[in-house]
Parts: sequence; structure tokens; C-alpha cells
Amino acid sequence: MKPAPLFKTVYRDLLGFAALLALGFWLIGRGGANISYRWHWQQVPQYLYSLEDGRFIAGPLLQGLMVTLEITAVSLILAGCIGLATALLRMSSSPVGRILAWGYLETIRNTPLLVQIFFLYFVMAPILDIGRFATAVVALSMFEGAYASEIFRAGITSLAKGQWEAAFSLGLTRFDTYRKVILPQAIRRILPPLTSQAISLVKDSALVSTIAVYDLTMEGRAIIAETFMTFEIWFTVAAIYLSVTLLLSGLVALVERYYPQRS
Amino acid sequence: MEQPVMGGDDYIISAERLEKTYPGNLKALDDFTVRVKRGEVVVVVGPSGSGKSTFLRCLNGLEEIDSGSITVDGIPLDDREEHRLEIRREVGMVFQAFNLFPHMTVLENVNLAQQLVRRRSRSEATEFSLALLDKVGVSEKARVYPDALSGGQQQRVAIARALALMPKVMLFDEATSALDPEMIGEVLDVMRSLAGEGMTMVVVTHEMGFAREVSDRVVFMEQGRIVEEAATATFFTAPARKRTRDFLRQIL
Ligand SMILES: Nc1ncnc2c1ncn2[C@@H]1O[C@H](COP(=O)(O)OP(=O)(O)OP(=O)(O)O)[C@@H](O)[C@H]1O
Ligand SMILES: [Mg+2]
Repeated sequence: MKPAPLFKTVYRDLLGFAALLALGFWLIGRGGANISYRWHWQQVPQYLYSLEDGRFIAGPLLQGLMVTLEITAVSLILAGCIGLATALLRMSSSPVGRILAWGYLETIRNTPLLVQIFFLYFVMAPILDIGRFATAVVALSMFEGAYASEIFRAGITSLAKGQWEAAFSLGLTRFDTYRKVILPQAIRRILPPLTSQAISLVKDSALVSTIAVYDLTMEGRAIIAETFMTFEIWFTVAAIYLSVTLLLSGLVALVERYYPQRS
Repeated sequence: MEQPVMGGDDYIISAERLEKTYPGNLKALDDFTVRVKRGEVVVVVGPSGSGKSTFLRCLNGLEEIDSGSITVDGIPLDDREEHRLEIRREVGMVFQAFNLFPHMTVLENVNLAQQLVRRRSRSEATEFSLALLDKVGVSEKARVYPDALSGGQQQRVAIARALALMPKVMLFDEATSALDPEMIGEVLDVMRSLAGEGMTMVVVTHEMGFAREVSDRVVFMEQGRIVEEAATATFFTAPARKRTRDFLRQIL
């Protein structure tokens, strides 16, 4: 069984999306004319990149994107580890472990991310002597880890009891059972919600600009402060975020096609 | 050396005075004692909810007993994790719902415990697995995933998987109850040939023809207690208890 061509299944959506986009641009163009905004699109590319003697030099927006990607990638890995560990703790037989996990989850999920970032930056960072980048990564991975843990837990508990029993009856240890039987199936199952979580992470990472980490958003703000090209730069920044998240969804969709879920 | 009680050496399984209550339930096992000799095939029958599955699951520690004792091949099933693991390696189990690992091929299903538990290399494991799959008649399906197999084939793979550790005892919990009628025979054939090779087996089944033909002894239980236990021929032709006769009349 060969998977149907990916393109065929999505091209109608793409067409619709393009039409909507065109309509949006038209509306905004009209709105811009009404408030007599003067567009300077031709000035935007220099903030993305420049060419010197045929050498490619990343502009501030691309540099910001790199920082965003770095923060997101590291946080994603950490959030995955924290999420899995918390999920396992919550399902463990140790009361202390369960209470710890519960306290962590409730704290994170019931306070705003912005407050967590500020708390880490103004309270914990000076005490622990960590920099802005590290603070940003810790804040984001703690935050997303809490949500990832719920996803992991749901995935693990959704597996039939029979899988555990079959593995145990073969003399596998609990560790091997998780590693070889439970997690591979659970992770395949939770790939869709985990992807949404990763996309949230990309978007939430914009908040770290509030502690002056020079990510994509922060670079955008800096350029606007200098040039007053508010519309163009925010459009560009939004488009870059959109491409990153779409790319991510696309990659996961490919993975899902080539590793079909089996039951 | 102290003499083992009741000629303990003859018994590969001794389950003594088991008690088991699930939260909020009547007793699932109540003063339940069964001993199984090496090479013996014991069939456990009883109405639904009588505790047959519970008994099997206690034997390999999938379920905890409240009191009583279980010894398998001289190893006591106690609080020590090594004992539990060791017993599970000596005891294979086949489930009503097959419970194959859907994310692994048939071959990987059968290889898994050999590689993890017996520390065999992949090639050693594969060689043995292919021989086992051949024995249960599904060797041509070694490289496919379980979802591409019929129920009967899946259950035969599950038997091969359970045999992969060369267990001394095999437990079957209604291994054919989830199968379409035309596939029951192929699974019973595999079980019959295992019995013929001298495997010790404890079998929960509703297939009375199979029980009659293959088993040495039948245990009839109800509400967690043994109603009657007898050699197979006696059980079917001259049951001692009226309750047994009623039960047999109902199912035969
Ligand atoms: N996990 C459980 N939690 C609570 N009660 C249970 C559980 N498993 C079994 N029981 C109860 O214990 C009793 C014995 O169940 P068991 O599954 O051992 O019966 P069985 O003889 O295998 O029945 P069947 O022929 O329907 O498979 C039943 O009353 C059942 O409802
Ligand atoms: Mg049962």
C-alpha cells in the first residue's frame, strides 16, 4: 500500500488559503490607503539578508529567527523530557512523586507564562546566576513541559491493559516494557497533539522578547523603533512565524504517513 | 535435608489456599488450592465470573494474591521482584485478546523477550523465532505487522511468542474465545501438539471436546472455590457432584 500523493490531498486547501490571503491583503491595502500609510516594502529585504561580494549575510530578522529556532529547539527537547518524567511520576506508585508532579502541574498551568518568565528572570536568574537565553529556555520548557505531560499521560493510559500484561507475562521489566512496548505506541498516538504543543512553543517563544532576548519578535520591535515601518515588519515577522509552524506541521505529517499508526 | 511437603518435587505448580478479593467485589478466589504435575494438562472450567482468569493471572504474578502461596518450579512467588520475573520467564501466557505488540512485526514480537530477557543476539533470536513460527504455521508472515493477520494467525503468533523463552509451563486464558469458528481449530491444533510434546499446561477453555481429548485433569470452579476436581474421564463420565452434572448438561 503506497500512501496517496501528499500534494493531491492538500492542494484544494492551499487554493482556498491563497484566495483568503489575497482578500486579506486587498482589505489591508485599502485600510492603509484610508489612513494614508506609506508602504516601504522595498526596504524590508535588507533586514532579512544582504549580499556583499556575492556573500550571503543574514540580516537582523534572520538572526532573530535563528535565536527563536535555537530557543524553541532546546526548549522542545527539554519540555519533552520534563513532560515524560512528570507523566511517569504522576502514574508512579510513589506518593511523593505524585505530589511533586501535581504541584508542578498546578503551579504552571494556573499562572500566566509572562509572569513565569518575569519571575524566573527577576527572581531566580540573579540567584542562580543564569543568563537571559538560559532563563528563556527554562521558562519555556517548564511551561510547555506541563502541557506535554498531560499529553503523554493520556497517550500512555489510552493503551490497552493487555499490552502491559503481554509484556509482563514475557518477563520484561517495567523499564523495558515502557521502553519497547508502551512508549513507542504512545508517542505515535500522541504525535498530533504533541505537534500542536510544539507549534504553541514556537509562538509562545515570542514572549521571551520581554526579557530582551533578541529573538525574531525582539528584532522586529527594534527595527520598527528605528524605521517606523510598523506594518511591513510585523507582516514579515508574522509570515516568518507562519512558515516555521507550517513547515513543522508538514514535517510531522510526513512522519505520520511513513510510520502509520497500527492497532 | 528437609523433605518437601506433599512430595513437592513432583509439582511444578503449587498454588496453596489462595485468597483474592478485588476492591468492592465478592471473593474471586476463596481457599483455592491447585497443584499441577510436570507435563500435566489441567483444564479449568466454570461459569463466567467464577475466577478462572484471576487464578491464571495470579500464577504468573499479574495479579496479587491476598493470602496463600504460589510456587512455580521451586521458585516462590513472593515480594521479591527477581522471583516474580524469574517465574514469568518460566511461564508463558496466551490471552483471549492475543495482545500482540501492534508496532512490531511478527518476527519482532517473537524476538523481543529473547533479546531483552535471554540476551540472545538478534540473529540467534531470529533463527529460533523462525523455527517457532514454522511450528505454529505462520512462518511466511514473519515480516508483516499483526494487523495484517487473521485472528487465528495472530493467536498462533502469540503462542510462538510465549514459547520463545522456552517456558516450562503454558497458561491459556480462553485462547480461542475471540476467534471466528473456522479459526478455532487451527489454534487448538497447535495447543494439542504442545500437549503432545509434554508441555505442562493450565488451560481455561469452553471447548469441551478439546478438554476431553487433551487434558489429564479438570478443575471445575464457581465463585472462587473448587466445586470438583477429577481426572478428565471421570469428570465427564461420572462427576461426583450434582452441581457439576448441571454445569455439564448446560454446556455440552
Ligand atoms: N480488575 C478487576 N477489578 C474488579 N473486579 C474484578 C477484576 N477482574 C475480575 N473481577 C471480578 O472477579 C470475579 C472473577 O473474575 P474472573 O475474570 O477471574 O472470572 P472468569 O472466571 O475468568 O470469568 P469469564 O469466564 O467471564 O472470563 C468476577 O466477579 C469479576 O467481576
Ligand atoms: Mg476470564
